[in-house]
Parts: sequence; structure tokens; C-alpha cells
Amino acid sequence: MTDEQKPAPQQPEAAKSPAAEPEVMPVHETPRGNVMVIAEHIMGDLQPVTLELLGAARMLVEKLGTKVIAVLVGYKMEETAQKLIHHGADVVYYADAESLQVYRTLPYRRVIVDLLESLPEPPHVCLLGSTTTGRDLAPRIAAHFETGLTADCTELDIGPYEHKNKMDPSKLGLYPDCLYAIRPSFGESLKARILGPWKNPQMATTRPGVMAPLKMDAKREGEIIRIEPKMQERDWRLQVRDVVREVSKGVKLTEADVIVSGGYGLGSADGFKILEELAGCFENSAIGASRKVVDLGWIPYAHQVGQTGKTVRPKLYIACGISGAIQHRVGMSKSATIIAINKDPDAPIFKFAHFGIVGDVYQVVPEMIRQFKKTMSSDKKPGVEAVVHSH
Amino acid sequence: MAGPYDIFVLVKQVPDQGSKAGINPDGTIDRAKAKRMLNPFDRYALQAALHTKKAYGGRVTCISMGPPPAVEILLEALEHGVDRCVLLSDRRLAASDTLATAYALHKTIQWCGRFDLIFCGLQTTDGDTAQVGPQIAERLDLPQVTYCEDFAIKDDKLEARRIIEGGCQHVISQLPALVTVANSYHPLEYKSFRGTWKVQNLQRHPDELAQIITTVDLDKIGADCDRCGLKGSPTIVAATEKVGDIGGNCKMYEGHSPESMVTEVLKSSDVKEFLRV
Repeated sequence: MTDEQKPAPQQPEAAKSPAAEPEVMPVHETPRGNVMVIAEHIMGDLQPVTLELLGAARMLVEKLGTKVIAVLVGYKMEETAQKLIHHGADVVYYADAESLQVYRTLPYRRVIVDLLESLPEPPHVCLLGSTTTGRDLAPRIAAHFETGLTADCTELDIGPYEHKNKMDPSKLGLYPDCLYAIRPSFGESLKARILGPWKNPQMATTRPGVMAPLKMDAKREGEIIRIEPKMQERDWRLQVRDVVREVSKGVKLTEADVIVSGGYGLGSADGFKILEELAGCFENSAIGASRKVVDLGWIPYAHQVGQTGKTVRPKLYIACGISGAIQHRVGMSKSATIIAINKDPDAPIFKFAHFGIVGDVYQVVPEMIRQFKKTMSSDKKPGVEAVVHSH
Repeated sequence: MAGPYDIFVLVKQVPDQGSKAGINPDGTIDRAKAKRMLNPFDRYALQAALHTKKAYGGRVTCISMGPPPAVEILLEALEHGVDRCVLLSDRRLAASDTLATAYALHKTIQWCGRFDLIFCGLQTTDGDTAQVGPQIAERLDLPQVTYCEDFAIKDDKLEARRIIEGGCQHVISQLPALVTVANSYHPLEYKSFRGTWKVQNLQRHPDELAQIITTVDLDKIGADCDRCGLKGSPTIVAATEKVGDIGGNCKMYEGHSPESMVTEVLKSSDVKEFLRV
């Protein structure tokens, strides 16, 4: 029940009558505003995606010639405010209150909406992480200001756009400084450039691990402006009773050297057993999965690689029965070596894998395990027993 | 005081990504030909709604927006046990982005009447944005619980567990509230014989079916057409480009025994470096 976007029909009348004189397009010169990043933390621990967004924001302000402003809502987070400056923020708006220690939709929304309304002009761009916090908060802010929001962008840029669709004549014209929010488009090997230049802030979220943070520079200077939160009774309709933080078990997907990943081609949840055995052949390995099999409940969401899962860049990625849809590809294409096993020789994964085996996962993977184990035992140093570990 | 509750659940029909029907050679999708299905994430929302009714009493209203074939998923929801359905269907909704979709759906919800809880899927498989739920909550001025994994209602308050990065939050919310249900919630139970039988019967009596599945358009719900469809969407897809092939020179092994193909890959790749010693 979300958007169903199709490319806007571009002036079909003009296509019918090529002789028609091109009209002079109005230019919508809007003042170039700042780029805002909404900082995210879990009980005071700044999340890495915020630093990545600051890196992206700096790249955007270089084109706009404006400032990076960050918003930090929390409690006793002065050091974090300073850290945001060291990582690229020029101004940090900081709301500090004990009641704001833990993220909650309505109070955080209130602080940010009030701040945005108090600024002399809205920021040009507003960025959040595609996290459980960013995806909770960003749509509320966008809906409040009736502005555009693009989820899970893989690239951001600033550039011109000429709107030729005559459906709404007031929108016709050239927009010189649009946010290009680029994301893979559904089920297609296409990237879509999504724009919303009619209204600022132009909003977008990006997944953790997609944008590159700047190096910490303790000499960077910036301004910290304290803002006074003004809450309303109705902002407290939801209370947080507690926050549970799990100690992660096993190798984290994003930190593994080797990822063995499974898709719909496995046929059933049982298929992951053999993948675990294969992963057991490697040091520092983890199990990944495509979206489809996570949707089917074959494996928990924590294993999902791709646009709506994790972005990984291991040294070796073995894709078993994964077709390689664009959503998966954007999450793993930066892996140093990609080996793909798939029955279908036309599977898109073979277009970007480095080594492709056309065959049945259940024949190829056991053979891999056999040969890898053989290699391991022949490589073993004398005196070391050839014990093969499997997870 | 607790229950019964007026429970709303929002569902969407999406193209079936597992099926090759309607996939054009260039990789684009022909939505008219593609196989259609209930958005997989919505199955969890449906389960949450039906569970709430079963545990606390009440009535479940299933709401969808889409072209007329979307009635298929509403029939499916009826088989699972929802009490009534409302389909918002209007050509003027074409090319709606999330903001315009949320506007139209919130008007539909208001048209449907009072509610205590609105359940939505976490996101759809075709849009992947997870935005419409919170955008509806904003328009209806509701507290929201996104990424909800489990919940109970006590003293007319929603006690819920929601996922956060590396853990979870336990929250207590006043009603009415909007909940987006994560796919780690309980899977949708099988349809009952009674449900299937009931729907089969209804399909033989279109008049009765029309009482249970109401189709509405923008005029009926009193929506402002300028805030719907392409006109009401602040974002547009300005351009699409084919994603270039990254490697483009995949070394393919095909038509040989698994043994020899694996041997070749082991020989020519750097796999060996990562094996356990």
C-alpha cells in the first residue's frame, strides 16, 4: 500500500505535432537553501548513518554553495553535537531534554517541525537514514509539510530539471537546483531518478552503509544552537517502557569476509542448511539472503542483503539460487569477488558476477563443500588435525 | 473497560515478483499482464487485525486502493475472516506517490467511520518505501508504532514491541493508533473452510457481495482531486536509466559436470585465500 509511481507522461501532444514551436520555459529560480541532516541515535549512541549522511550533505552543499545543518534531539549529547561538526556539519541545532533521551515519534517530530517552521526559509534538502527511526520519522515530517520524500536512495545529487508535463501548467518550467534522489526501480534493471523540486525541503532517506562519511577533522569549526523544545500534551500519547539492546551473536553480516547467500532457487528453507555448511568452510563468514526468501519466512530479516536489507561488501560473495534483481544487486555489488550459482543461464546475476556456474545449487554446493574441504586438509600444516568446523 | 474494537487494516495488490508473467524483455513490468497478489507484508497486518478481533472482540474493516482487480485481494481477506471491505478505485488516482496515496487513504478511512486501531503492512514489495503508514498517521494525527513485532491490548492501551537497530523498544500507546506490522509478527493463519464457503456463496449473490465490499471513488469520499494522483504528488520519476553491467565479463561455466565446474572456479578465483586453515 505504498506509491505506484510511473514516469510522468512527457508531453504527448508535442510528439504528435513535431512542427509545434517549442515554448519558452519559465525558470523557477528559488533561493538555494541549506542541506539538513537529522541525526539519529539509540539512547545517546550516535548511529553511523548520520555521519554518512553528513558526508553526502557536504557533497551536495558544494554544488549549492550553502551550509550543512544538523538537528540533534536528545539528552546530554553536547559531545555528539561537537562530533557532528567534526564530521561535516556547519550548524547543529540541539534540543536537550531528559524527556527526549529515547527516540519517540511524536516528541521528536514536534521538535523538528517547530524548528523547520521557525527557520526564515526551509532547507533545500532534508536527509534521514533508512532505519527504523528514519523511516518512522521522515514520512511524518514530509506529510506535515506536504513535501516529497524518496525512500532508500542509493545516490544523491543536485542538478537541473525541465518539467514539460502540461497537466499542471503552474509546474511547467526549468528548475535549476533539484535534489536528484536516485533509487532502483521495482523489479526492473532500471534506476529511477526521483525529483520533487516544487517544494522545499526536498526529502530523502538512504540506507546505512551506502554513503561515505568524511574523515573526522577535530579542527573543523561550527556553531551549536540550542533550541527549546515546546511540547504539547498530545505528544506524550505513546510512552517507551524500555529499550532492549541485543548483544549480537555470530559474525555480523556487514563485517564478514565471506558471505554465502541464498535465494528463491533454494526451493525451501531447508536449503540454508547446506549453505551454512558451505559458509563453515570459510573464516569469518556469514549467511545472507535475498528479499524474496525473507518475505517467505525462510530466514530472519537480519540476513537480508539488498536495498531494503543490508549493504555488504565482503571479499567473497557466493550467491546460490539468487536471480540478481536490482534490489539485491545494490546491496552486494561492491563485493570483491562474486560467484553465482543458478540454474537459469539468463539470470541477471550472471551479468555482474565474476564467476558463474550454471547448475543446480543442490549439485554444485555439495561439490564445492567437498572440494573446499579437500583443499583445506591438503593445505593444513603438519601436525594440525584437519577438523572441519561447521556452524 | 476493554473492547470491542473497530479495527481497520490496509492492504494493497502488488505484482507477483516470483512470476515471470508480464516481465518485458527489457526488464520493465507490464502491470496489466503481471500476476497479481496480496502484498506479502500485508498478510502480517491482516493477521494482527484478525487476532485483535479474536482476542478482544470487534469488527475488522479491510481497506484498499487500486484498480478494480484489487477486489481479488479483498475477497481473499474476506475468506480469512474480515467483516467488510472498502475499495477506493478511481482513475484520477493514477501515478499517485506516497503523499497522494496517504491523502486518499486517510479520506477513505474518515469516510469509513470511527476506529480504534489501523494496521498496515510494514511496506509493499512494489514501492518498498514504508512511508504511507506513517503519512496516514500524520494526517489523522495519530500516535504510531512502526516495525511492530508483537502486541497486546490492556486497559484500552496498546502495549507493543517494535524493532530498532540491534534490539527492540517496548511501548505503550493510547488508542486510537496506527501500527505497521513487521514480518517477524505471526504469519497469517490459513483460511477457514467457513470463510471460503462464505465467499463462494457471496460471489453467487452479487447484491449481497456489494453490501460487504463497497467500492468508492474520490467524489464519494469527498477527496480533493487536486491532492490525488499525479497532480497531488510532490515527487515524480523524472528519468530512468538502465543500470550498467558492473563486471560485464562474468566467467561462465556451463554444461559440464558440477565437479569440473567447481574445480575450474577454485583454480581461477581467489576462493582458496578465505578457506579455514
